[in-house]
Amino acid sequence: MAQVVVLGAGISGHTAALTLKRKLGKKHNVVVVSPNKNYQWVPSNIWVGIGRMKSKKVIFDLAPVYKKQKIEYHQAKAVSLYPEGDAQNSKPFLKAKYTSKEKAGQEVTIEYDYLVNATGPRLRFDTTPGLGPEAGLVQSVCTYPHAEEAWENLKKVFEKLKNGEKQTIVIGTGHPKATCQGAAFEYALNIAHEINKRKLNKLADIVWITNEYEVGDFGMGGAYVKRNGYITSTKVFTESILAEYGIRWIKRAGVQKVDEKAVYFETLDGEKHELNYDYAMLIPSFSGINLPTFDKNGADVTAKVFAPNGFMKVDADYTAKPYEEWSGADWPSIYQNPEYKNLYAPGIAFAPPHGISKPMKSKNGTEIFPTPPRTGMPSGVMGKIVAENIADRIKKNTENHKHKASMARMGAACVVSAGYGFRSGLAATMTVFPIVQDIEKYPDWGRDIRYTVGEAGLAGHWVKLVLHYMFLYKAKAKFLWHLIPE
Amino acid sequence: MKIRRNKEIDPYDNGAFTTIPGPATRFFRKSIIWQIWRFTVLNIKIMRIVIGGHS
Ligand SMILES: Cc1cc2nc3c(=O)[nH]c(=O)nc-3n(C[C@H](O)[C@H](O)[C@H](O)COP(=O)(O)OP(=O)(O)OC[C@H]3O[C@@H](n4cnc5c(N)ncnc54)[C@H](O)[C@@H]3O)c2cc1C
Repeated sequence: MAQVVVLGAGISGHTAALTLKRKLGKKHNVVVVSPNKNYQWVPSNIWVGIGRMKSKKVIFDLAPVYKKQKIEYHQAKAVSLYPEGDAQNSKPFLKAKYTSKEKAGQEVTIEYDYLVNATGPRLRFDTTPGLGPEAGLVQSVCTYPHAEEAWENLKKVFEKLKNGEKQTIVIGTGHPKATCQGAAFEYALNIAHEINKRKLNKLADIVWITNEYEVGDFGMGGAYVKRNGYITSTKVFTESILAEYGIRWIKRAGVQKVDEKAVYFETLDGEKHELNYDYAMLIPSFSGINLPTFDKNGADVTAKVFAPNGFMKVDADYTAKPYEEWSGADWPSIYQNPEYKNLYAPGIAFAPPHGISKPMKSKNGTEIFPTPPRTGMPSGVMGKIVAENIADRIKKNTENHKHKASMARMGAACVVSAGYGFRSGLAATMTVFPIVQDIEKYPDWGRDIRYTVGEAGLAGHWVKLVLHYMFLYKAKAKFLWHLIPE
Repeated sequence: MKIRRNKEIDPYDNGAFTTIPGPATRFFRKSIIWQIWRFTVLNIKIMRIVIGGHS
């Protein structure tokens, strides 16, 4: 009997765990280790942060789902990794600390034959002084408790606006190399929508602050879309939406510090600025969880398994090369660690070979550009193919990885809601194919223009609603869940 | 939606140099029939990029 351990029950890990169990059946054991008792459908946190959805609608209890699926579940946080075992135990294992009320702080050792590290991002509020809900100054929507708090504070802003007080609302990236622009952009549009609906826009100065060279870059170097006889850049599309919603923007900005009064940032031209604010939601930088890793003699081999940014090294080409030489072939397709072949890292947990957007530096040497995004859809697909390959290795005893999903061969859809309601909602839908531009295959536009879309409309809102209910249904592993694509 | 291209806005504000949707575009964005069609098209495109992107 083989034991497969999955770290993390987010979009990638949960998909991997359910797929593994479905493929492996009763003969093999699937174990999930994740610190949060709930599954959360992260993309809908935006609606929580705007008061349009209660957080209980975006989460559910993981334990009953895993019990039904016969998946062993530990509400715990992995703390160290022993891929060769140790002096006493020749089998690979990991150590985890329970986070559940009953067992909080207790340590557990879990052996594995295969390990899927799907621990997503570590939210690095600490890399920007003043950032993060703990400091109590700037909001976040990265988790549902953060989003709840963001909404509580946003309500106060609406009250002040109603009382005739001017308010400056700053939304965007909170670090010179932050990613996940799509989520922050969506939050900015939703706030603007709510303010416009309440007819309070005259008093609100809404500012989109971003580390992108041009708005619409979204960490993937922007994209080109076909609209009304023109091929236009997502810059045009994004600027148009911002202007329509009454949001002004500051681009090429690396936020360096926030205090009670202002957001401090440097722009690519090397100038330092400060922007006073009343309410701010800024996305922090991300790193991986960087699990301390030891060989059988107890020597620290973390650097062999994890990149300096804490993400796990996989089958990517990590050779340092200039932007002009970047290629789609650098991107991993099976998410397997080259050092320990039974370790995999799908979703945000894998170390990208390099960015997608062109790296930029200010004259002071500050790097200001988005790091590559790894959105929900690709994260789910990666979780699935990793599970399928592991199941093949166990059941067919093959080292061949038949299932592949490179970001240079895979598309992504980003549905940015900008208002809520079956008839009154609106969303900007952006799809790109592939995520990483492939200049060799698509020399003109870097991507397949037929599948690269940017449009705003009610349909996008419906897509977003359908995705919300469909993915929660799938994540609950209800009847025929596996037929729903990632 | 109100467009902020009025006297209160600096004509050289960054929003002053963009395209803004006209009445027809705004009408079609909310037109149920047209949006049902777009919903279908978007779903087909999304399905194709999800399924076509991995093996
Ligand atoms: C507000 C917001 C809106 C978004 N909107 C969209 C959208 O519209 N469309 C889209 O495609 N993407 C969207 N994204 C991105 C999407 O949510 C991520 O791509 C996706 O969640 C990544 O999945 P993941 O499984 O890699 O990581 P996560 O979903 O973050 O899961 C990581 C898991 O690992 C667990 N974990 C952490 N540390 C440990 C540890 N030490 N041991 C064990 N487990 C651990 C965590 O508790 C969690 O369960 C959005 C993101 C945000 C923040």
